[in-house]
Amino acid sequence: MNGFQLYFRLIQISLLSRMQYRANFIASILGLIVWNIVNLGLIGVLVAQFTSLNNWTLWELVFLYCLWILGHSLYSLFFSQARELEGYLIEGAFDQFLLRPASPLIQLLGRELQYIEIADMLIGLTGISLAYTQLGLHWNGWKWAFFLIAILSGAIIELAINLLIACSAFWTGRSRASFIIMSQFYGLVHQYPVDIFGNAFRVIVTGVIPVAFMNYYPALMLLDKLDRAGSGWWLGYMSPVVALLLVGIVSAVWRQALKRYTSSGS
Amino acid sequence: MKIFWSFTRQAFQFIVAYRFDFFMEFVLAVVRMYGIYWVWRILYTQKPGAFGVDLVQMTTYGVMGMALEMFIWSRPQWYMASQVKSGAIDTDLMKPLDFHLYMLARSTGEMLIGAGVLGLPALLVAYIFLGVQFPPDVLAGLLFVLSLVLGFLLLFHLNFLLGSLAIVALDIRHISWAYFSVVRFLGGQIVPLWLFPPFVAIIAEVLPFKGTYYIPISIYIGRLAGADALNALGFQAIWLVALVALSRVLWGMAHRRLVVQGG
Repeated sequence: MNGFQLYFRLIQISLLSRMQYRANFIASILGLIVWNIVNLGLIGVLVAQFTSLNNWTLWELVFLYCLWILGHSLYSLFFSQARELEGYLIEGAFDQFLLRPASPLIQLLGRELQYIEIADMLIGLTGISLAYTQLGLHWNGWKWAFFLIAILSGAIIELAINLLIACSAFWTGRSRASFIIMSQFYGLVHQYPVDIFGNAFRVIVTGVIPVAFMNYYPALMLLDKLDRAGSGWWLGYMSPVVALLLVGIVSAVWRQALKRYTSSGS
Repeated sequence: MKIFWSFTRQAFQFIVAYRFDFFMEFVLAVVRMYGIYWVWRILYTQKPGAFGVDLVQMTTYGVMGMALEMFIWSRPQWYMASQVKSGAIDTDLMKPLDFHLYMLARSTGEMLIGAGVLGLPALLVAYIFLGVQFPPDVLAGLLFVLSLVLGFLLLFHLNFLLGSLAIVALDIRHISWAYFSVVRFLGGQIVPLWLFPPFVAIIAEVLPFKGTYYIPISIYIGRLAGADALNALGFQAIWLVALVALSRVLWGMAHRRLVVQGG
């Protein structure tokens, strides 16, 4: 079995065990839909009263929101276990990954399929299609390709950032708190265009934890708003580069982390 | 009163044990206040003084919405859900103390500590860096505090009702997402009710949620004053009485059909 086959086998097993609880399945999907509708509703109310948010119209904001969601749902559907690494480390359960003759990373990520993310994906696709028609967009083949690459890059960026934070648990023993803070940055970038915030925030989400490449910069390119970024217009094309860069960093860190791993015992 | 005090002490010990996590929660609150502050500033460049509220009042409203979370938020529902799940709820029920009162005491203790350790420092940041203003006069300040206490009690009972649901549904995690977002929306934590489109405003005006954030903060910024403020306090009080009654009834029903898992 190669890595991919193993991953999908593990996912299949977890999905079967999850489908036993059907009421929970439905409740969770409904919960997620309500959550997203309320978020979009808040943006809708604001823009309805003030016509635009820093020259972002309602449907452009919907596009921004849904572009983030598509990347996020792709990440979350397959790789959300990255966040759970801390628990395995604390309990010493990480040892079992090392004992088996397969990549520990694949064993970790294959623990579970976050099936409810299907709901996110549907909301994202619906929102993007609506925005596409409402904004009267006509993309050529190259823009469609970039759109797909942007979603994929978004998923990889979130995975890489979360894995880096999770890896910090190898050194500090805990990563939960960093995830809580991170979720706030994700939340702000997800819902609002980065250019409404102060410079410090923009620098952080561009250069330090590059969340803005999940939706803001590719959206500038896809919505023909690159002039808003001024001399930084080229950032609109950078999402795939940032994603690749992060993959390089995270694989180096992961190797280092495994090398220095000492079990918590027990 | 002694009960409340002992739970406060317990909550304090918990916080000391998890110092780092609490510091992170504080950072989190600051990021959120910063975010909403900019949203309103940018929106107001297009319509200064929209709806008879000036920019400083509006950013005060937004930042307070985030800061007050630590003064009124309680989580009896999580405690109840986890106790039901583990089966440990039977030991709670054996205690010589009414369960509803026990939850209230526990939540109050946690809130007092959370407000002291996270809320007050967050407010300090808001006053110094985000230009949050004080209430227009002393009376507004006093009414605000009263309204905030009612808001805490309202939200506690809403959460308690959700927790009672845990006994029937066993898993409330997913229902909670929908619940939280509805409270935030209809409670006016982020966007005040006066900006709602009419058909949503009609619903939000009669439901208890607006008593959590919208009424206290509106009194704070002086949007609700005089007779309006008193009416709003009355609204909170009436809903509180109704929710207390509902909590007693529903908890009684849930209690009777309580299934303790395993053992």
